[in-house]
Amino acid sequence: MSERTTRVVLVPGVLALLPEYAGIEDPVAELRAAALGAVGWLGREVTVLADAQGARVAAHLLDSTERDGDEPSYLVVGNGSAKRTEKAPGHYDERAEPFDAALGEALKAGRPDVDRELARELWASVEALTELPPAASGATVRVDYDDAPYGVQYWVMRWEG
Amino acid sequence: MTLRLGRHAFADGATLMMAIVNRTPDSFFDKGATWEEDKAFERVAQVVAEGAEIVDIGGIKAAPGVEIGEAEEKERVVDFVARVRESFPRVVISVDTWRASVGDAVCAAGADLLNDAWGGADPELVDVAAAHGAAIVCTHTGGVTPRTRPYRVEYDDVVRAAIDDTVAYAERAVAAGVARESVVIDPAHDFGKNTFHSLELTRRLGEMVATGWPVLVSLSNKDFVGETLDLPVGERLTGTLAATAVCALAGARVYRVHQVVETRQTVDMVETIAGRRLPQRAIRGLQ
Repeated sequence: MSERTTRVVLVPGVLALLPEYAGIEDPVAELRAAALGAVGWLGREVTVLADAQGARVAAHLLDSTERDGDEPSYLVVGNGSAKRTEKAPGHYDERAEPFDAALGEALKAGRPDVDRELARELWASVEALTELPPAASGATVRVDYDDAPYGVQYWVMRWEG
Repeated sequence: MTLRLGRHAFADGATLMMAIVNRTPDSFFDKGATWEEDKAFERVAQVVAEGAEIVDIGGIKAAPGVEIGEAEEKERVVDFVARVRESFPRVVISVDTWRASVGDAVCAAGADLLNDAWGGADPELVDVAAAHGAAIVCTHTGGVTPRTRPYRVEYDDVVRAAIDDTVAYAERAVAAGVARESVVIDPAHDFGKNTFHSLELTRRLGEMVATGWPVLVSLSNKDFVGETLDLPVGERLTGTLAATAVCALAGARVYRVHQVVETRQTVDMVETIAGRRLPQRAIRGLQ
């Protein structure tokens, strides 16, 4: 009998993913597709690690997917900086891109090592990232989405280990 | 209510732009700009490209003038309707006529909707619409003769009169065999009305909407806008759009217009404020 692996998914807490903020056109269609694909891969019972707004995004994504596996599962909600461009919510900060690059690499390794003070200055939502379950560390990682389309760094990643 | 206009069906709550296309040498706004058939055809192509769901083709100007007989009216519109039908299969073709014989000919040529701006002056128009499976616009004129100007017309309650007459006309159309979902009512601003009447109809349009029949409004550059703002034809767009916004908030469904793009933007903005339409694309503050 094989041991059950733990599944962990990271999505960004983008409010545009919520149905109450839907428009005629979806401004985050690619992100949504990636997030739904990853969340749909989780098991039936999912532990959510998120702040209050992120929890709403998580609940919507979970409600929008049918999952029937019994793997221990975690859905983590967080994202990188919001200062990547002139038009980013927090305006441009030259430290944002290297911060996100480093955080992205750390996430892929499943061991986010975050400078919380810099994260706060760069409007990065990292609280839940620092609670990434140990199972992610050294696990097989898949990056479904890695972009900053509106000046905010988003990742959709899944870990299995 | 779902709206069926001849060959075309529209979902509940959809708002529609009906673009005016005059095959006349003397209509008040364009003053004959689309009198030549090719010019009228270019106008159709333009308004379709601008997103108009309906074109309203008219062969006789509304105001008094040289009498145009049936044969002349048919000559102006029937072949033109056939040409538009062939070139633009997806646009709703409306014809602005009060004559049953003209309605019969244009429906045979491909029209979907008969826009009777003169409130049922020809009682057989509803039979023609029914026979062709066409839709009909039932307007209120207070019973005046086609192509006459209002002269000292008064009402106890113009809105009550407009509702009573258009609903009675609508029921008459249904009794004649027109499908219930193919009947539209129109208070007909300025037809048999002074400026105060048209303003009151605008202010109380919600009462017409509450009848449940889809409401068409024809406000575009009309004299009630001109008198309200003391502006000549050609300078009435802003006033027209303000009146349009009030009607949109009240729930009008069809807008008969000269300026499609500006009216569509106005109606979409108001419908979205009213919570009946989503923003096109919203990301600001939601990233």
